[in-house]
Amino acid sequence: MRKQFRDTALELAAQDDDLVVILGDISHFLFLPFQERHPTRFFNMGICENTLVSVAAGLASQGFHPFVHTIGPFLTDRCFEQIKLDLCYNGFGANIVTTGASFDYAWDGATHHAYADLAMLRLLPGMEVTQPGSPRELDALIRSQYRNGRSTYFRLSDHAHGLDVPVEFGRGVVLKDHGAPLTVMTSGPILGNVMAACSDLPVNLVYFHTLKPMDHALVARFRHTKILVVQDAHGLAEAIAEVPELSMAVHGLPDRFLASYGTVKDLRQSIGLDPAGIREAVRMRLGRAVAAA
Amino acid sequence: MPTMTPACRDIRRSILRASKASGHGHIPTSFSVVEMLYAVYATMRHDPRRPDWPERDLFVLSKGHAALGLYAVLAHHGYFDVAELDTFGAFRSRLGCHPDRFKVPGAEVSTGSLGHGIGLAAGMALATQLRGSSRRVFTLVGDGEANEGTVWEALMVASHRRLAALTVLFDDNGSQVRSLQIPNLAERVAAFGCDVVEVDGHDVDALRAALATPAPTVRAVVAHTTKGWGCPTLADNMLEWHRKSPDDAQLARFLEELDAA
Repeated sequence: MRKQFRDTALELAAQDDDLVVILGDISHFLFLPFQERHPTRFFNMGICENTLVSVAAGLASQGFHPFVHTIGPFLTDRCFEQIKLDLCYNGFGANIVTTGASFDYAWDGATHHAYADLAMLRLLPGMEVTQPGSPRELDALIRSQYRNGRSTYFRLSDHAHGLDVPVEFGRGVVLKDHGAPLTVMTSGPILGNVMAACSDLPVNLVYFHTLKPMDHALVARFRHTKILVVQDAHGLAEAIAEVPELSMAVHGLPDRFLASYGTVKDLRQSIGLDPAGIREAVRMRLGRAVAAA
Repeated sequence: MPTMTPACRDIRRSILRASKASGHGHIPTSFSVVEMLYAVYATMRHDPRRPDWPERDLFVLSKGHAALGLYAVLAHHGYFDVAELDTFGAFRSRLGCHPDRFKVPGAEVSTGSLGHGIGLAAGMALATQLRGSSRRVFTLVGDGEANEGTVWEALMVASHRRLAALTVLFDDNGSQVRSLQIPNLAERVAAFGCDVVEVDGHDVDALRAALATPAPTVRAVVAHTTKGWGCPTLADNMLEWHRKSPDDAQLARFLEELDAA
């Protein structure tokens, strides 16, 4: 997905002299082609994430369209106040692009994990929050949002779901509608595991690549069903819960740090977010939903 | 000891009256920056009748709690009527205890949380560099604010990028004697790659000379000031008066002290 970010930025920069890229000393090798093509608009600015965001706000105040990019927790958890005040409160629009979604950096341990970013940034007035699950989704979302004057969060993962899903900012997607009493709702790369888990189960499946603004109308369409949110980060369930009168449960993260190492697959399995764990959760909820119907 | 200019005395009178009328304070810190703000606005390319003039220079009050000082200087220049200062901090006022760029003509950035404005100003100066413009960007940072690590991050980035459009004024008013005073502030700022000038922060001529031309890299003006300068009662009791506003008798005494300064 990072390569797609580079390619999209490179293509857009050829048409937009105000597009600038600010890196926090990550992805600099990947961005060499951008640096060579647009040396004056490429800044590997240093490991000082708070300042990267403030500088981006200053650039945005003067009409530039900045992309700030580094590892998820450092650019969101650490920089929450810069995003809140320098971007959102001041109304200076910049693009926050992270890598290392949830526990992509599994073997780096919990210091490099980000579970709260989507939930926190959703709370900021004026902020747009996206969680693309594939390079195609990322490309479409960047193109539609990057220069609209608002600040947008693009949460990149190295583990794309590999599915071809329609993309329109702010709109959720119905992937399966069986008229079932249970609707599974999910977002981002974990869709791959959700699809594998539910492929032969009679459930409805709704997918979101945009968490703010949430597609309330689409959620409301499934209000008459039980809803199971499957998520590998906080934020989606809270966004869905903005729709009143839902009967909703969440299959997601435990209330503890994931202090193991290994791979994303290992960590997902350890907390029931592998296909088998998700399937078990869906089957249990489906049984209850059928009984209640 | 420099002599207070008539304009800066008038600005201080406005600050006192506004604080009395509104019941809100931050007088000592506003007093410490009056000459600096006056000198900045005397140096900047700006037009009070056109706050959005595209060719204007930019000023960011990084130490946003000196807003009353900024408002008094803006009013002095005609950005809005001096009488509006009396609304300071009121529910429907445009003039809050920290500046809001959507409300205050002449305020470029909404500030308040310390350590943010200087990074924004660095971004504005980078924009100037990218556009090949002659625009200058000024920002005013408090010495207490310099406890924030982001101040030093921003200085590192700005001096590394040789952002000659940027001038950073430090209000070295000794406010941090109570917690984390930064000794030798000018030396430390110089060590971060800035072109440093030290001045008496109440000497308008010295400030104007320091601000007149940009340096080849970030210009830092470390201005030694006194909180509450011009009113000995405020200067001698700066901690007590940090957020207080005067009653009628206190206002009369402060105005007398000011006339004698």
